[in-house]
Amino acid sequence: MKSIFISFDQAYYDQVQTILTLNHVRGFSGWESVIGRGSKTGEPHFGTHAWPSLNTAIITIVDDEKVKPILEQLRELDGTSERMGIRAFVWNIEDGM
Amino acid sequence: MSLYESSVRKPVMTSIIFIAVVILGLISYYKLPIDLMPKIESSTIMVMTTYEGASASDVETNVTRPLESSLSTVSNLKNINSTSKENRSIITLEFDYGLDLNVLTNDIRNKLDLVKSYMPAGAGNPIIFKLSTDMIPVIMISATANQSLPALYKILDTKVSNPLARINGVGSVSISGAPQREIQVYIDPVKMEAFHLTIESLAQSIRMENLNTPAGSMDVGSDTYALRVQGEFKDPKEINNIIVGNYAGKTIRMSDVAVINDKLEERAQESYTNGLQGASIIVQKQPGSNTVQIAREIQKMLPEIQKGLPSDIKLSVINDSSDNIVRTINSLAETVIYALLFVMIVVLFFLGRWRATVIIILTIPISLISAFIYLNITGGTLNIISLSSLSLAIGLVVDDAIVVLENITTHIERGSRPKTAAVNGTNEVGLSIIASTLTIIAVFLPLTMVSGMAGVMFSQLGWMVTIIITVSMICALTLTPMLASQLLRLDPKRSKGFNKVYGPIENFLDKLDEKYATLVNWAVRHKIRILLFATAFFIASLIPIIVGWVGTENFPAQDSGFVSGSIEMPIGTRMEITRDVCQRLNDQWKKKYPEIDMINYNVGQASSKNIFGSLFSKNSSNIGTFSIRLVSLNKRKRSSFALTDSIRHDISLLPEIRKSAIKEGGGMSMMGGQSTIDVEVYGYDFAQTDKVAAELLKRIPNIKGLVNTTVSREDYTPEYQVDFDREKLALNGLNVATASNYLSNRINGITASLFREDGEEYSIVVAYDLKYRQSIQDVENILIYNSQGQAVRVKDLGKVVERFTPPTIERKNRQRIITVSSTVSGTTLDVAVASINKELAQIDIPSDVTTKIAGSFKDQQESFSDLGMLLGIIILLVFVVMASQFESITYPFIIMFSVPFGISGVVLALWLTGSTFNVMTFVGVIMLVGIVVKNGIVMVDYINLNRERGNGIIRAVVTGGKSRLRPVLMTSLTAILGMLPLAMSHGQGAEMWKPMAVTVIGGLTVSTMLTLVVVPVMYTLFAASGVKRKHRKNKKAALQKELGE
Repeated sequence: MKSIFISFDQAYYDQVQTILTLNHVRGFSGWESVIGRGSKTGEPHFGTHAWPSLNTAIITIVDDEKVKPILEQLRELDGTSERMGIRAFVWNIEDGM
Repeated sequence: MSLYESSVRKPVMTSIIFIAVVILGLISYYKLPIDLMPKIESSTIMVMTTYEGASASDVETNVTRPLESSLSTVSNLKNINSTSKENRSIITLEFDYGLDLNVLTNDIRNKLDLVKSYMPAGAGNPIIFKLSTDMIPVIMISATANQSLPALYKILDTKVSNPLARINGVGSVSISGAPQREIQVYIDPVKMEAFHLTIESLAQSIRMENLNTPAGSMDVGSDTYALRVQGEFKDPKEINNIIVGNYAGKTIRMSDVAVINDKLEERAQESYTNGLQGASIIVQKQPGSNTVQIAREIQKMLPEIQKGLPSDIKLSVINDSSDNIVRTINSLAETVIYALLFVMIVVLFFLGRWRATVIIILTIPISLISAFIYLNITGGTLNIISLSSLSLAIGLVVDDAIVVLENITTHIERGSRPKTAAVNGTNEVGLSIIASTLTIIAVFLPLTMVSGMAGVMFSQLGWMVTIIITVSMICALTLTPMLASQLLRLDPKRSKGFNKVYGPIENFLDKLDEKYATLVNWAVRHKIRILLFATAFFIASLIPIIVGWVGTENFPAQDSGFVSGSIEMPIGTRMEITRDVCQRLNDQWKKKYPEIDMINYNVGQASSKNIFGSLFSKNSSNIGTFSIRLVSLNKRKRSSFALTDSIRHDISLLPEIRKSAIKEGGGMSMMGGQSTIDVEVYGYDFAQTDKVAAELLKRIPNIKGLVNTTVSREDYTPEYQVDFDREKLALNGLNVATASNYLSNRINGITASLFREDGEEYSIVVAYDLKYRQSIQDVENILIYNSQGQAVRVKDLGKVVERFTPPTIERKNRQRIITVSSTVSGTTLDVAVASINKELAQIDIPSDVTTKIAGSFKDQQESFSDLGMLLGIIILLVFVVMASQFESITYPFIIMFSVPFGISGVVLALWLTGSTFNVMTFVGVIMLVGIVVKNGIVMVDYINLNRERGNGIIRAVVTGGKSRLRPVLMTSLTAILGMLPLAMSHGQGAEMWKPMAVTVIGGLTVSTMLTLVVVPVMYTLFAASGVKRKHRKNKKAALQKELGE
């Protein structure tokens, strides 16, 4: 099992949910308003007057084989708009209940 | 969740709320009555006191002065004026506008009670009389007649006046110019003396014969019968047969000594309409009722009434005050529609998208309609003020929506989904929208707190615009993002046709953006040059006002379509002669001026029963008053002012007319009309003040542009006075009272009794026949009987002499005064005042006499100082609002730099259009303050945003400026084009609003153009020094740190 941490512009919420559903991912945890800034490009998401947009973050634990298609679809979504931004990170899960 | 976020998330709720507001507003709109002006409580209270038998100066010292000194302590009093005439003192108290008259009246009553005990014994109770705008006639109807003339009064009274008075809201209906029937018993004094009879005994005989007496009741059988004597005359001819005495054993009948006439009263005012004699019927409304509604009902009723009248009586409406109201309101409503259209075009031009345009335009009806809810709740009306507020606001309400939508569009173009774009886009500009709306509110809300006449006029404007702007802001923060999220598409497909039309426009706008960016880029690198140019421009633009090319006045003169005035023949001229002159003028004008629709003139003395006539217009046998109605504005080329001037010229050619005052305006509307300048001459001594007034009267007409110069103090009128010798009276057992009573009964006549017919009463007047009261000798020959029955002639008791009566004594603020007033025509107020001051300096004025200039000039000074203070407060408030929004003092200061250029624009616009600087212009300037800073706020806020995002100063300024160019141009253009219909309007009442619209257009145009360059320059200047200061501080801190180590 692997966990995927996805941080994305709030506007992508519906699309990200769709991707997860299409990949038969039911469970996830999320934070609706998250601030953040990309390491290289993209607009900061600070929720301030200057940078009003915000991110949403989702962490979901999926079977190993699901990781690849999900990441692929997320990359595709990210390509539709450079300025909004989606980032996803994957790491191993050792145990759960 | 923020306001805009929840509205974007809940589109149904948002739309339902706004639909509800619109429905409520529409319901309110249909319930709103129409009126010309907001309800203006009048500010004048009169106190009238009679003091029979006292001369003007007695009345002044014994009645007027004690009353004045007591009344002058009433609070809120502005001016106290008084006139003391023979027998009567009238004190007029002027208050500021907008006070509760009932409270003032009570206050006055208390003061009067205090002073009552000090009044002379013969003085009557002071009567308090409230003057109110409700007394302005709603409608004036003229009735012309040929054969029915003798019975006109009665016919009009029963068939016209009574039905009209029954209409809901009609206060009083008075008839003037129709003489009333009177039974005259004209005595031949020679015959009367031969039979040893007196007028008093003859009158007594009539009184004794013309009686119905109940004589109790009596029982006859089982019934009770009333017993009555029916002695009243059934026909005036019966008077002939009354036995009035015995002489040498023969009975003497009335017909032996008198002629009985069943005629019309002798001295009456005659009224002519288009040369036909008739009467005028004046309808006044009840306080608080609606003029337009009443007039409409009267107009509806008139054809009905006309049917019931004899065929030779023709009713026609001379002056319908609702006409003016309806026409003015209609022309204003038209400007509102045009403004809407223009704004729509501008929005479409800049956005090039139908959907976006619809979203923005939707805010206009919603915010305007919500203002109707306010009007309905506060009991307001659709009037000039409320409608022009709408017209003013149209250009402003779209601003917020434009800024929001523009930003949302940018977000969408950058790739955001519409919903996020809507929320984030609104969030970015939300602050600047609130700030700019608050500045507009900071301008308009203080308008509701102004005092005086301007306050009454502009408080509604203030409330309306405040409410409209607030609603539009709420709209822009909720409805606009919601609609944008629903309707806007990422890349809307455009049809080929649309591209063909809009393509060039888009190219042009893109190029404009580029050009502007280049310009700003250049400007911020050449700050000194730009600032020098701007300062030079500002100073140069003030030249027209310094040199005096732009004049000032109080309120702009308004073409009311009426000319009114009076001519005065030498005192003592008989009514017939005055009438002939009036008729001649009537014929001449009718032929000469095709613009004249109707001429109505009145000559002669109004009867005492006609309250309106006797109170409000001068009337005497030598005075003729005219009211002339012109055809409607679009059917004539000459303005009513030009016509007034030529009519004045016509009158000046007639040498027999001594005095005349012709004014534009019917006296039925409150404002408009031409400005007047009064020179007040204060001083106790009649001779001294008369001399100064006469000198002014000689000099002022020579000043160009001043006409109608008149002196308020009336001429010394000639009259016959009987000086009784008290010793001779005493020798004959008489006193002055009895003797003068005899005189009055013979010349003026006594009302012996009343003749009743068909429920109407007519006076039976006994007097000397006309031919026996035409000379001094006739008076001298009057026989006076003493208590012993001995007859003495007047010439044996005293002398009849011709004298001049002392004039009416006028006082203002407890000082005797003469007012020399003149009408300004063809020049501006300030120029006229300057020339009068020059003349005054040349006149040798005694040390006891002081002069002062008043009239429209004083009103102007008062309103200008009021508005000047308001302007100061508003600038401060706007500054405060901006400072708290930006959390800085520098930025508001930078933005405020657009205000002087606004003023430059105003001066230039006024100069180019040949307008004057007046109250309306001033209000325009005040509004301008709010509108011009809006542009600055939008720009500076966005530049700040760019800097927060890490851009350098110049880059932030250039990109920020470039991206804000379109919103700034758009908001300015909508405001300018929204005002354009007002500025171009030629409809009724347009004169009033034109200067204001011209002011805003001129100021906004110039200020926008300069602000676009100067604000970025100022910003870089201040921001750069701010950054340098910061650097220095950092360096110093670092140095200190180093040293410390």
